Amino acid sequence: MSGLYGTLSIALSALATSQQALETTSNNVANANTPGYSREVPVLEAGDPVVFGSLSIGTGVVLDKIESMRDPILEIQLNQETQQQSSLNAQLTQWQQIQTSFSSATSGIGADITNFFNSLGQLSPDPTNLALRQAVLTAAGNLATDFNTSANNLQTQRSNLNQTVVQDVGQVNTLTTEIASVNQQISNLENAQQNASTLVDKQTSLIRQLSGLVDVQVISTDQGISLTTSNGTALVSGSQSFALSTQIGSDGSQQVMSGTQDITGTLTGGSLAGTIQIRDQEIPNVLSQLDQLAAGFSNAVNAANAKGYILSDSNPPTPGGNIFTAPPAGGIGAAAAMQVSITDPSLIAASSDGTPGSNGNITNLSAVHDQAVVNGQTPLDSYSNLVFQVGSATSNTSADADASSQILQQLQDQRGSVSGVSLDEEAANMVQYQTAYQAAARVVSTVNSLLADAVNLGIDTAVQ
Amino acid sequence: MRVNPYPMPDLLAALNQTELQAQQDELEIATGRSVNVPSDNPAAAALEVQNNDQATFNAGYLQNLTTINGELSAADSTLSSVQTALQQAISLGVEGGSGTLSASDQAAIAAQLQGIQSQIISLANTSYQGNYVFGGTVTSEPPYAADSSDPSGVTYNGNDDVNQVSVGDGYKIAINQPGSQLFSASGNNVFLALNQLIQAVGSNSGIETAVANLTSAANYLSAQGVFYGNAMDQVQSQTTYLNAAKLQIAQQQNTLGGVDMVTAATNLSSAQTDEQAALEAISKLSQNILFDYLK
Repeated sequence: MSGLYGTLSIALSALATSQQALETTSNNVANANTPGYSREVPVLEAGDPVVFGSLSIGTGVVLDKIESMRDPILEIQLNQETQQQSSLNAQLTQWQQIQTSFSSATSGIGADITNFFNSLGQLSPDPTNLALRQAVLTAAGNLATDFNTSANNLQTQRSNLNQTVVQDVGQVNTLTTEIASVNQQISNLENAQQNASTLVDKQTSLIRQLSGLVDVQVISTDQGISLTTSNGTALVSGSQSFALSTQIGSDGSQQVMSGTQDITGTLTGGSLAGTIQIRDQEIPNVLSQLDQLAAGFSNAVNAANAKGYILSDSNPPTPGGNIFTAPPAGGIGAAAAMQVSITDPSLIAASSDGTPGSNGNITNLSAVHDQAVVNGQTPLDSYSNLVFQVGSATSNTSADADASSQILQQLQDQRGSVSGVSLDEEAANMVQYQTAYQAAARVVSTVNSLLADAVNLGIDTAVQ
Repeated sequence: MRVNPYPMPDLLAALNQTELQAQQDELEIATGRSVNVPSDNPAAAALEVQNNDQATFNAGYLQNLTTINGELSAADSTLSSVQTALQQAISLGVEGGSGTLSASDQAAIAAQLQGIQSQIISLANTSYQGNYVFGGTVTSEPPYAADSSDPSGVTYNGNDDVNQVSVGDGYKIAINQPGSQLFSASGNNVFLALNQLIQAVGSNSGIETAVANLTSAANYLSAQGVFYGNAMDQVQSQTTYLNAAKLQIAQQQNTLGGVDMVTAATNLSSAQTDEQAALEAISKLSQNILFDYLK
């Protein structure tokens, strides 16, 4: 179509596309602060030309599509780093809680061990002194109590983490259900050849949230996207989601189940994996070291006490019994169960020859201080080693979390530079589209005037 | 390259970081410690446990030394009194053996010697804070009891054992000398010699030998008694050593977990400057946008 009407139609296409482009700008400005929103860019295309013989005449402009600016690789990296960071943050919070039990050099288990041996040292110049003997029992009691407290705190922390696991799994299920439903909507729109980019933003944002919880892998297929854990457990396939569940396992802690399969140990990222790592590896490890120390210490002190004789005038003299309740076999639970088994201070076997005034066996009791009681280590070395382990695990996790958060920040900057809405840019676009609209309107007005000229044969009036 | 239009999260992260740093510095200044949780410095936190052990033991050793010193000096001065009494007995023996005294004077001397005997028994039964000092490890009953059926006039109820007390890492000192090695040592039995002297003076025969035996027993006791003097010297020098060690341990503790106030204050002030700068940057942000100019 050529002629004035052709020109008019071209101008109309320009008006329409400028308007649509302005709408896009307006939408971008409106969503400048919407999390996960990717800026949209109108893609304009010249209309197919009309060919008259050797002439090819343009037919105006069409809006080919509105493109969302996003970098899929970057989104994957962001997902991965989010998984990493969430896992580390979950671990860091727990480590910080764990290390409170080991924070002071002048109180707690370490200081209690020292005080126990020091009280024995104080008893040695005056072994019949009941007050000094009582001080030994008190020191032993403090040590047992602090072992109990530390072990119980760790146990409580561990069982609280079961709650966290259940909550996290619930959240995973909510998110996967939502993602499946968004997938369905996207697929419906795409089947109808419509733009689903806003929903894709929503989908991306939901997957990011899911990445905070578990290690999600995104697989794009013709039917939309599928989500699995990095170990291959299906979470979402197209419009179908697969709920995870929790079940109490043999050790009494909540296991993460996919159907009948236990996937607890296979999770590698997200806060769920971090929580499970702390619950199933780190806390049991610290607890077991406390148990070994408590058991080794109790056994060594009991053995030393058995070498001497209690404060009594009996003949033959009475050998010493246990000071601490005998720890359970294998030491499991020894820290929580540690207890002083005697209340009578005269039962401390200070004497080596049976006379009440002898302090010879205090040497044996004191020697436990320098005796290898657990894994070739003295009680205090073993404890300070544990302090070091807990401290460096906390500090390493903190450093890793910092590093990860910086990487994440950088990735987010990159994402911003691709997908973020720049208000300056939108202002410039607005000016551009406004000018285009004004120019097209001007063309319409000119065509109108020309048409009037044509209809009224030169009489200078507008078409009525 | 397109610029990230959202610098706010970066700035907030920076602000958060400087605030964390400032908090950490404030905590260090407030507590005077650079290691407040093990993760602040894991190696130092582990060493602090050992350091506390050393400090506590050091204080414990010092306290033991004070206790021991009391007991040792009580024993030492008792032995001096015993020596004085023995010298007196020897003089009396010499006087009684001079052959110039009347029978009644001899009897008076014998009676005086008996008095000395009970005095020495009583001294040998000295107790310190309720514990008998010279009974070996039998501290709950008097080590010597008068016993006329025994040639020495006493029976020893103590034993030969010695108590040792740790006064340093791997350093023990014996804190008692059993009576069996002091007063009633075989061959140099003070009580036997004294009893024999009493009998010699009473019968006016063999006084010279008895005096010689008592002199030898007294010399032996004196030599054995040096133990206490030596032990007190050890206590003295170990106290000096431990007091010096105490300073060293405190210094070590300070090096491990203490705060260098100057550095901490400088850090705090620079963290505060950083914080100011971050706040400044945030406040300047988005003051200029193109929309403002499109009027």
